[in-house]
Amino acid sequence: MIQLFNVTKAYGKESVALREMSVHIEKGEFTYVTGPSGAGKTTFLSMLYGASRPTRGQILIDGINITRMARRQIPFLRRKIGVVFQDFKLLNSRSVYENVAFALEAQGKKRYEVSKKVYQALKEVGLEHRLQRRPIELSGGEQQRIAIARALVVDPLILLADEPSGNLDLEVTLEIMELFKRANARGTTVLLATHDNSLYQRFPKRVLGLEAGRLVMDHQP
Amino acid sequence: MLEKIRYFIRRALRNMRQWPVLCSAAILTMAVALATMATFFLVVLNIQGLATNWSQEIQVVAYFKTPPPRNQRAKLIQQVEAFVDVNQVVFISPTEALKRFSTRLGDDAGLLEGVSRTLLPASLEIRLKSGSHSREGVERVVAELKKDSRFNDVRFGQEWLERFENFVNLLKFAGLFLGSLFLLAALFIVSNTIKLTLYARRDELEIMALVGATKRFIQIPFLLEGALQGFAGGLLALGFLWLSFKLLLEKGLHSFWLTPVGFDPIFLSTEQQFMLVFSGVLLGLLGSLASLRKFVRL
Ligand SMILES: Nc1ncnc2c1ncn2[C@@H]1O[C@H](COP(=O)(O)OP(=O)(O)OP(=O)(O)O)[C@@H](O)[C@H]1O
Ligand SMILES: [Mg+2]
Repeated sequence: MIQLFNVTKAYGKESVALREMSVHIEKGEFTYVTGPSGAGKTTFLSMLYGASRPTRGQILIDGINITRMARRQIPFLRRKIGVVFQDFKLLNSRSVYENVAFALEAQGKKRYEVSKKVYQALKEVGLEHRLQRRPIELSGGEQQRIAIARALVVDPLILLADEPSGNLDLEVTLEIMELFKRANARGTTVLLATHDNSLYQRFPKRVLGLEAGRLVMDHQP
Repeated sequence: MLEKIRYFIRRALRNMRQWPVLCSAAILTMAVALATMATFFLVVLNIQGLATNWSQEIQVVAYFKTPPPRNQRAKLIQQVEAFVDVNQVVFISPTEALKRFSTRLGDDAGLLEGVSRTLLPASLEIRLKSGSHSREGVERVVAELKKDSRFNDVRFGQEWLERFENFVNLLKFAGLFLGSLFLLAALFIVSNTIKLTLYARRDELEIMALVGATKRFIQIPFLLEGALQGFAGGLLALGFLWLSFKLLLEKGLHSFWLTPVGFDPIFLSTEQQFMLVFSGVLLGLLGSLASLRKFVRL
């Protein structure tokens, strides 16, 4: 599903965020990406959904070489990928419903189809009773669940999560892990960047360890 | 397709509702720019209208040294009427000239009593064709008449005509110059206003790009919004223009030209009104296009 061949990402001459990284991730895998701050986790994930391009090397997603991809093709890559961030990236001027519907509307889905899917996705994360609220009126955990609903409502092949529980307490983190595991069980490939070691002790899965831009560990439980 | 258009319109409208201050700022800027340009256009239009009206009055008067014998008059008139620029020629006998003079004197007509009936010279009053109410037209006629030694003096408002033509040319030039200046300024302000609204909504743009919206999908509502604002601005400008026309020009002109000049102020024709609103739409579109190109980078 995801293949990297000698991928290097440099910002200017001095700062190299990733060095010669090669890795294969199979369809349906659940993978942690760990490492200290500045190791290159965010850089790695951002290249997978076309937010930045590698300086050298090739990346294949679902068999397509995205390093050669034309700019106008990137939206179509992103439709296969759901992304979740530490800071949620929700629109506080919009209702919960609209926030989730956004992802489907962007793909030009029909209105009746949108409402059905949005409701299902919100039910999946247990927030179907919050449809008309604004995200800002909800707790951090609820907001992150909305962001996850938005990422999953399009049935993505891949789910990328960058420190999704960075701002949340343990109980909420466990709820969110449950959502990721369920998505994974339905066949979505999940990549979760975190520096929280307790997570993979609790839910042992494959771990990619980064340090100063190098892949220093690839551990299968 | 229809579904998509409805979706875009809904999004454009809700964006406008969400940022009422920015939206009205954009509309007002465009309205002011358009109204300024249109006002100038209207003034030039009216002065030109007035000018053509006046120039109908232009005539050349040729005075005879001695009144021509009666049997030659018809031939003479025919000769002059054959000039390309000439529309109509009227012979004014000394008696006729004296009669006119005395009417003009009114109560003082008594002064003329006992004066010889041939005091005033006979003359030809020559009216020009409508295409020849210009300096060139007048000069051609005058040159022709001066060749004829029977005429003593040829009169026409040459200096006045020249000055007036220069004035109208200056006005046209100023209109064009100021017009393009205002257009540029409007475009600049509109594009910056829209840039501001885009900046206020950069989160939305980022998230749209994140969930796989194409560039066009992101841009269309903003273009639509620009066009709608331009449309509103155009209508506003038109309304303002019409109001000030009614209040100032029509009433003002009538009291200014104490004597009725037989000229009614002109307002924009239907096509010109349409053009004004359409320019608003175009302005809004161009303005948002200019700022979008810089802003929406995926
Ligand atoms: N836009 C950028 N310009 C310059 N350098 C950058 C940029 N983005 C990241 N870097 C550098 O690349 C390196 C890796 O950054 P990255 O954000 O990928 O780390 P991270 O593992 O996500 O860290 P954290 O755990 O703090 O989020 C860092 O040294 C960072 O300074
Ligand atoms: Mg990071």
